[in-house]
Amino acid sequence: MIKGRLPLVVAVLGILPFVVGNAYLQHMLVLWAIYALLALSLNMIVGYLGELTFGHAAFFGIGAYTSAILSMNYGLPVWLGPFAAAIVAAFFGAVIGYVALRIVGPQFAILTLGFGSILYTITNYWVDLTRGPMGISNIPPFSLPGLDIDFTRADRMYYVALVVLLLVAYGCRALMTSRTGRAFIAVRENAPLAASTGIDVFHTKLLGFTIATALAGVGGALYGHYLRVITPDLMSLQYVAALIIMVIVGGKGTIIGPIIGAGIYVALLEALRVVGSLRLVVFAALLTLCVIFLPGGLVSLWRRYAGRQAAGGAS
Amino acid sequence: MLKVSGLKVRYGNREALHGIDLEVGTGEIVTLVGSNGAGKTTTLKAISGILRATGGQVEFGGERIDRLSPHAIIARGVVHVPEGRLLFADMTVMEHLELGALRAPSGKAGYARRLDWVFELFPVLKERVAQRAGTMSGGQQQMVAIARGLMAEPKCLMLDEPSLGLAPIVVDTLADTILTLHRAGIAILLVEQRVDLALRLADRAYVLETGRVVLSGAADALAEDDRVREAYLGA
Ligand SMILES: Nc1ncnc2c1ncn2[C@@H]1O[C@H](COP(=O)(O)OP(=O)(O)OP(=O)(O)O)[C@@H](O)[C@H]1O
Ligand SMILES: [Mg+2]
Repeated sequence: MIKGRLPLVVAVLGILPFVVGNAYLQHMLVLWAIYALLALSLNMIVGYLGELTFGHAAFFGIGAYTSAILSMNYGLPVWLGPFAAAIVAAFFGAVIGYVALRIVGPQFAILTLGFGSILYTITNYWVDLTRGPMGISNIPPFSLPGLDIDFTRADRMYYVALVVLLLVAYGCRALMTSRTGRAFIAVRENAPLAASTGIDVFHTKLLGFTIATALAGVGGALYGHYLRVITPDLMSLQYVAALIIMVIVGGKGTIIGPIIGAGIYVALLEALRVVGSLRLVVFAALLTLCVIFLPGGLVSLWRRYAGRQAAGGAS
Repeated sequence: MLKVSGLKVRYGNREALHGIDLEVGTGEIVTLVGSNGAGKTTTLKAISGILRATGGQVEFGGERIDRLSPHAIIARGVVHVPEGRLLFADMTVMEHLELGALRAPSGKAGYARRLDWVFELFPVLKERVAQRAGTMSGGQQQMVAIARGLMAEPKCLMLDEPSLGLAPIVVDTLADTILTLHRAGIAILLVEQRVDLALRLADRAYVLETGRVVLSGAADALAEDDRVREAYLGA
């Protein structure tokens, strides 16, 4: 869809902070980039593996806590935090996936809900490590070795998040054109048939799930070092719902869809601030409408339009 | 080579196979015939590990394979081409062939050679490598399904109703293909509702009725058997 126009898109994204030129909007851009990264990670499970998970925010939280705690208490350089977050989140992802992925479909979704709540509860009550519901504040801002850049500024942090987002988007693309990615799709489309062609269905799902949780961990680390305060609420159902909305409304199983979905979410979140918690109703309505009328998400509108153009051109 | 003994399978608490015994020797064509719901597909699925047997055992080359997972069974050379020429509609012919090669013992080294062989067998597919499987005709889809199976380098190929829904002329080509594979030394376990066709191709045959083998023997002898003629050959 953006094939051939990629350099242009990257250029536009690159100058966006200058275009908006307003610290508040720049802040929203950072949130968008981080959420887009998280949405892409959830998309790997929901879009590529075809399994619904209600536990994804837990890995986001694990990433945020890992990087914050390691950098504050154990002297880990902040720029290594996202890597550590990826490893720790992937470890939890692999263990939980190993147990939960033996079952698929609705039961799997319920299991992830259970595991997610357990992690949320532990984070809430393990006060010695996580400081419980008070959360952790004064998290060091992101930094890069040898560079004196103030990443508390949104217009700087934006580039960190954007680079990570683009890398992940590129990685998703490369993955999905590889044999492994094809195995993901085969498993999603028809698991028994995939098994009878020689795909190890369980390990294929476990691999996808673990990669997705690692990426969620990276997103969490960036989020923590950017906002500099985290609470167990990162792992709550509110974030689970937010990520699902981004993926479904944007368009699951695509790369651009979840990125657009994240943008819409961030924009609406701000635009609807005045209506308070009624926002949630709006989001729920949006999700419902999408599922009913636009199951392919917003990107499918583009496909329809492009298809019509192509048909029109041919006649 | 492939030896099934006392195989039992249940769906929920209903037993579909009540103890099947059958054997496929090296390089043999063996057919499994029977009417709708007799348990032919269930037998193949249990051999290929997609369904778990609740009793009995399956041996291949002297090794028990009934506790292995499907991909491990394929890696040993027992390959199942499922009923209804199941394909991934949005994947291309080439992508199917690559998927099929996933567990091939000769790995990447043998890939090009196998691909050549498959294209020699099905020249049409060579011209259509980039076509999506969902857009192909029934006969071509069956070719893709068999070709995908062949990419796994089977020693024993199990075909589930390959002729179903194909035009007569395509069925003839299919029969030729099966004989070609036979000459290449691949053992074949053929499930067919077209009993006449199956008995013509096969060395030996088993007749299945409601989860039991009721008759077995040389294919040409069964073709003369009155019970078979009456029940399956419409004579
Ligand atoms: N998934 C399933 N769940 C429950 N029962 C099943 C299932 N699949 C098959 N059966 C039952 O098991 C029995 C054997 O079915 P199977 O598909 O093996 O027969 P078949 O010989 O392949 O028939 P056909 O010629 O129609 O393909 C039938 O009674 C069928 O109803
Ligand atoms: Mg059948």
